[in-house]
Amino acid sequence: MNCSDIHELAPLYVCGELDAAHAADFDVHLKQCPSCLHEIEAQSRLDARLRQALLAEDVDVVRVNRRIRERMAQETVEPSVVSVEPRGNRWLKAALGIAAAFVLAVAGYFSFPGRFARVYADAAQDHQMEVVDHGPRHWTTDPTELAALEQRLGISLQVPEELAGGYHLEHGKICRLDGQLYLHLVYTDGTSEFSLFLRPRDGERLTGRISGASNGRLLRASDSGNEHLAAFATSQLIAVIAVDKPGGESVECARVASSSIGD
Amino acid sequence: MARRLASDPATAEDLVQETFYRAWRSFEQFQTGTNIRAWLFRILFNAFYAQGRQMSATPILVSLETPGVEPGPTRPAGISFADAAEVSSALDALSSEHRTVLLLAAVEGFTCREMAQILDLPIGTVMSRLSRGRQAMRDRLEPAAPKVMEARAGIGREREAG
Repeated sequence: MNCSDIHELAPLYVCGELDAAHAADFDVHLKQCPSCLHEIEAQSRLDARLRQALLAEDVDVVRVNRRIRERMAQETVEPSVVSVEPRGNRWLKAALGIAAAFVLAVAGYFSFPGRFARVYADAAQDHQMEVVDHGPRHWTTDPTELAALEQRLGISLQVPEELAGGYHLEHGKICRLDGQLYLHLVYTDGTSEFSLFLRPRDGERLTGRISGASNGRLLRASDSGNEHLAAFATSQLIAVIAVDKPGGESVECARVASSSIGD
Repeated sequence: MARRLASDPATAEDLVQETFYRAWRSFEQFQTGTNIRAWLFRILFNAFYAQGRQMSATPILVSLETPGVEPGPTRPAGISFADAAEVSSALDALSSEHRTVLLLAAVEGFTCREMAQILDLPIGTVMSRLSRGRQAMRDRLEPAAPKVMEARAGIGREREAG
């Protein structure tokens, strides 16, 4: 394999789709040719730089998801769709099943009482996509970067790195819930994790079932699909907790967070 | 991906919405066991091309509303604003053909074969565009970068045959 072959096959090599024999020949050449090695390394670095720059962009995924669900739900209730000639029972059943699921999802989305319901729904979705499903968002673990994010959101309180119950801060990023920016922190005790969303309080009223108290604050709970949510307010902050475990886990996590966050 | 294909964020959101809507409507055409991401991206590009045709026949609407105070861009963690802006600017300067394959490969993680299926192109064309896109990005981001491979290989034209 010569330098010209390396150039031609570089896209396949960098994408990892060269067969074993060609990949071995490729590696042999790279060991002997510093120039080609430098080029391949530079291409890989470029890809990583591009990935890092674009995946860290602020995209309001929750809003887009909501628009998609709403359009699908709209379609399912339009008479013209119902009157479409079915292509077969199997397809019709599948389509109706999917439609019903979306209608239920949207109905569930709007079934929370009050404006804060949207925050719960968006928090549930963000937790599911970014924490449970490990979406390709860029998180930071650097305390300096986290402090910069807090400052940008106007959170004057330093967020705790350690919580009661053995939880410690894993990483954080900024997200949007109901169109507003929140600091999304993930805490773990080594076996389970929960999301804590924080932003400065601006006088809104929390909703949800009152499910206890901690540090002189009421803990409220709500559910959305597989996600279980809780919220409390300090004199300065709104805090929303999302977990994917039932059985009051969200309230327990809220209790742990509230006990470690001062006013 | 949609943000980089479309001219503005609102159009990108329309594109994503249209993509999932089309996928939902034609889900019976998806073959179980095949790559659903590749299938979705193919729909996205079809929607993008259709959107482009529609846009070219539609007058541009300009909002008369006073723009609200938007939150500033989130500082991408692990990368400076300046670096992110430089990368973004270099990417925007690429031709759409080069930008598309570069995004599909570097950001979305598709292989050349998958990209060939998504874009309905010969794999050789995809490889060629990927090489040229990477080189164009490096020319902008690393002006001193030598074009060693291209010079050695003597390749100066894009292969359009698979």
